Amino acid sequence: MGALFDKRLWIVSGKGGVGKSTVAAALALRSARAGRRTLVCEVNTQERISGLLGHRPVGPQVTALEANLWAVDVRPQEAMREYALMVLRFETLYKTVFENKVVRYFLRFIPSLQELVLLGKILFHAQEKRPDGQPLWDTIVMDAPATGHAITFLRVPQVLMQTVPPGPMAREALKMKDLLEDPAVTAAVLVSLPEDMPVNETLELHAALRDQVRVRTHAAVLNATFPERFTEDDLEALVDHPELLQLARAHHARAAQTVLAQLKLERNLHVPVHSVPRIFTPCFDRSAIEQIMTHLEPLVTGKAAP
Amino acid sequence: MNALSEALASKRVLVSVGSGGVGKTTVSATLALRAAVDGRSSLVCTIDPAKRLANSLGLNALGNVEAEVPASALEPLGITARARLHAMMLDMKQTWDDLIVKNAPADKREKILANRFYQSLSSALAGSQEYVAMEKLWELRTQRDYELIVLDTPPTAHALDFLEAPNRVLDFLDNEAARWLLTPALAAGKVGLSLFNLGSSYMAKTISRFTGTETLQELAAFMLSIAPMNESFRVRARGVRELLEAEQTGFVLVTSPGRERLDEVVHFHELLEQNEMETVAVVVNRVHPMPSPSLWEEAQSLVPARRAKVEQTLREMTLLAEQDARGILELQAACEGTPLVQVPRFELDVHDIGALWRTGRFLMGEEVIPLPTPQLAAGTGTP
Repeated sequence: MGALFDKRLWIVSGKGGVGKSTVAAALALRSARAGRRTLVCEVNTQERISGLLGHRPVGPQVTALEANLWAVDVRPQEAMREYALMVLRFETLYKTVFENKVVRYFLRFIPSLQELVLLGKILFHAQEKRPDGQPLWDTIVMDAPATGHAITFLRVPQVLMQTVPPGPMAREALKMKDLLEDPAVTAAVLVSLPEDMPVNETLELHAALRDQVRVRTHAAVLNATFPERFTEDDLEALVDHPELLQLARAHHARAAQTVLAQLKLERNLHVPVHSVPRIFTPCFDRSAIEQIMTHLEPLVTGKAAP
Repeated sequence: MNALSEALASKRVLVSVGSGGVGKTTVSATLALRAAVDGRSSLVCTIDPAKRLANSLGLNALGNVEAEVPASALEPLGITARARLHAMMLDMKQTWDDLIVKNAPADKREKILANRFYQSLSSALAGSQEYVAMEKLWELRTQRDYELIVLDTPPTAHALDFLEAPNRVLDFLDNEAARWLLTPALAAGKVGLSLFNLGSSYMAKTISRFTGTETLQELAAFMLSIAPMNESFRVRARGVRELLEAEQTGFVLVTSPGRERLDEVVHFHELLEQNEMETVAVVVNRVHPMPSPSLWEEAQSLVPARRAKVEQTLREMTLLAEQDARGILELQAACEGTPLVQVPRFELDVHDIGALWRTGRFLMGEEVIPLPTPQLAAGTGTP
């Protein structure tokens, strides 16, 4: 089983509401625990990961959360400024040009520019180097948007290359595309739930990533699963307790769905499917993330959990 | 009568909004179904529904046109709708193309459809989905005579994307800067001319370093080719805006009770209020009801091994119910004055027509989950 530790850029995506941020937080924490310099990036959302890990929101600056772990909420305005400064080099030039009304108007209408700068900023971090030439970050965890938006987002370099004539934007787009497509660097982790729609969407996302973005799916995470608990005998024995029977049946149905979902994902994705049980805690906080982390051990290290 | 059943009887447009994965499509389909059964001809315009949900409505090979839901689809319910139910799946790219074909001058159509900027705008760009969904709504509302249209919206990454879509278009068309740049070129009949009168300027050189000169030229060419359509775009964008603010339009905010969704839904609710758009109800979908306390006693009569399994399950369900209760209480406080409608989490996914009907019973208030109390949310339910 390949370890996620062999890759540097981990893209976490899936249907809305399946627990992408939770899994991204757990993966980032595990990576940091292994002594890898880790940066976890959220893309223009109401920031959640730092909160899940028990820290204050970090905002748009790369901020240290704890040992080996940094976080950033990548937002368009700041990313645009940083990107423009990288290209233009001078702050005053940026102010003169980019704060000009006419210019702002035109930039807004350039297709996908906002997505380009968001993705561009994350991929810029993926290329940052230390003085000795080694990558600055050992792991970058990208908490990517949900399915449809994720494809649009990750396809931005390709769309741009088809849309804009040769020039700085096209060059930037090509660089970004190469990095995303490099299987030695980039790996996608698809998060799903043991329900029909999320499973189907995972299969679609996998196909779209493969065919349209050329990003490889490294593994799937089946989140919030229910273990087998009630046997057929148990269910039969409960016939005289209709309400308890209903409770047991509901659990039994969810466990059966878990098995089906696991099978369907394995058969269609041809990658390992790691299941994470539904966590029952009064508050979904850091302790829940740590529990989830232990279930993801084989995914990140390639070895079975201790 | 609860708020949603009143809305079904009186509104002409219902827009269901909320983040991805909360069950917007199911809620939209259910609302249109109930309206039709109650005697109002209705249309549900959905975005890429799950295949089984689509099938359950007889929506198999549907494209960007409305199709009548066959009476046979309702057979399992033993019910005949008193009015017709239509359904369609919104095809973003097709809607854009139709828009151009209908509104562009005949000699410009091909040129626009072939333009690279147009192609990425219409098919691949984030944000254009939200706009085109509203365009479709406006077209359906103004050109058809359904008594009720239920619009399912794309799963927005951001609440704002959706509400701002018509504003963005208006803003684009009414922008003085653009007019100043483009008008002389239009008059001269030459593409991009005016923009590149700036060509040697400091400003243009600098933008070019960022985007490349040709990009700006192509963009100008595209904008010139759609310029003759500006007036009709403007009229439509205003129409959409007015439609969304109209008294006969209501928004149904759909969410799941999870903590992580709450900030989003509260934010969305505020935005609707600021924009003077009416939130008919907040639908909290997939709520875990609190297991009845008597079940704990009942479990004591079971053999120990079985009893342990049942009690563990009860503990887990109680925790889930408490979590949901906390979320719902917060939501209620944050959206004071807006009716809150709870739909339970069903044992299995909601896909067939029977499940839609069951969802409908909760949406219409015919079955109700009691609203949580602070004691319940505080976790006193677990012995």
